[in-house]
Amino acid sequence: MEDIFVKLYEMTAFSNIIADPSFLVMYAIAFVLLYLGIKKHYEPLLLVPIAFGVLLANFPGGEMGVIQADSNGMVMVNGVAKNIWEMSLPEIAHDLGIMNFLYYMLIKTGFLPPIIFMGVGALTDFGPMLRNLRLSIFGAAAQLGIFTVLLVAILMGFTPQEAASLGIIGGADGPTAIFTTIKLAPHLLGPIAIAAYSYMALVPVIIPLVVKLLCTKKELMINMKEQEKLYPSKTEIKNLRVLKIVFPIAVATVVAIFVPTAVSLVGMLMFGNLIKEIGSDTSRLFDAASNSIMNAATIFLGLCVGATMTSEAFLNWTTIGIVIGGFLAFALSIASGIFMVKIFNLFSKKQINPLVGATGLSAVPMASRVANDIATKYDPKNHVLNYCMSSNISGVIGSAVAAGVLISFLQ
Amino acid sequence: MENIGLGLMLMAVGMITVFAILLIVINLSKLLIAIVNKVAPEEVVAKKPAVASAAPAVIDPNTMAAIKGAVNIVTGGKGKVMKVEKI
Repeated sequence: MEDIFVKLYEMTAFSNIIADPSFLVMYAIAFVLLYLGIKKHYEPLLLVPIAFGVLLANFPGGEMGVIQADSNGMVMVNGVAKNIWEMSLPEIAHDLGIMNFLYYMLIKTGFLPPIIFMGVGALTDFGPMLRNLRLSIFGAAAQLGIFTVLLVAILMGFTPQEAASLGIIGGADGPTAIFTTIKLAPHLLGPIAIAAYSYMALVPVIIPLVVKLLCTKKELMINMKEQEKLYPSKTEIKNLRVLKIVFPIAVATVVAIFVPTAVSLVGMLMFGNLIKEIGSDTSRLFDAASNSIMNAATIFLGLCVGATMTSEAFLNWTTIGIVIGGFLAFALSIASGIFMVKIFNLFSKKQINPLVGATGLSAVPMASRVANDIATKYDPKNHVLNYCMSSNISGVIGSAVAAGVLISFLQ
Repeated sequence: MENIGLGLMLMAVGMITVFAILLIVINLSKLLIAIVNKVAPEEVVAKKPAVASAAPAVIDPNTMAAIKGAVNIVTGGKGKVMKVEKI
């Protein structure tokens, strides 16, 4: 009788959890993330699947945790070292479980981030950027945070590949951060994805904090519409519909020529946008890209990223470094955008509200909405949303190009 | 030390590339605007004949229910839809 109880005890997860209480910490992290996603509405579309993935991955015996292959592609399967790239997908599913099957098929191949970019493209309107082309250069300035944190991380002892994956959090673009990390430091995927999406969710807190520290009331009250009336733009768009169709084709071509490693992201972003802008002729494709495909990709991406966060992979000092470094990258990206606007204002009659620089990081459209809220707080008539969207959208292209540079130099 | 050199190099190359690409995108867009303005004629939307403004527009009951529902949520049940006008 006692034997049966012992076997029952060993069959359940209790024995492993008691033997290794670090699982409890992971459950606590999963519950906090679920709380933030469900109750606080912080990026629920991603935080909920990620959090649930964390939960599933940390049930001992469940075989739902992702097993990372080493740099040579070797993994331990039942005590035997095997090369993951020589294993067939059914073999991975059989030996390592369904989550590893999904991870190695959808994530490790770099398949899902470009698919999500296609959906993002289908949901993006490049109109504000085309109407305010001059402002889109601030999307480049805001990428400085990526490279500054890369340098700091190298000084802290991270390898250049790990440092690049950490720095890319400053681009405030989840799929870009995941794509870069898969290519350069896949063992850090879990904490980097969590840091990237958590800080993106905290955009309404981080942007006002940095803006408050660096901008004066006078600067924040610069009315972009008034400036536009005083110094009207010379460029007039006579046919925005046609322009919006030509634009994604041209940008994808140019980026493909100059930074081929960024094509999988920028190319898919522009493809998604093209099928949106063509209109009724491709409406079914647009519908699929922006709804069913995007939603399915988000579910699998979230679950797999969460499943990489097993207790042994997550509970270490590197994760703490990533959390701190990620925040630094984010804040520096916002600050560098603001400083570039300030420098620009020194030499130009037509003044620009520094909030346009603050939104140079991606996080579309939340960053612009937050910036608009800040502006209207100082002057209820000062709506900067459309102007901020310009740098905000170009920030998406900027961070994808930065990722392309990092991948081509460090892979 | 070697890695710091690599980091500095990546910073310089990365920022220059990002600025260069976005400058190219901006100038390319200006070029596209000029070409589209020249080649594709401006779309002229035929104005609909003015509807007699005196008569109020008939609102579909489903649309009306949706508007009332939205107002109810936004105002916490305190708001009331008195008139719906097409602008």
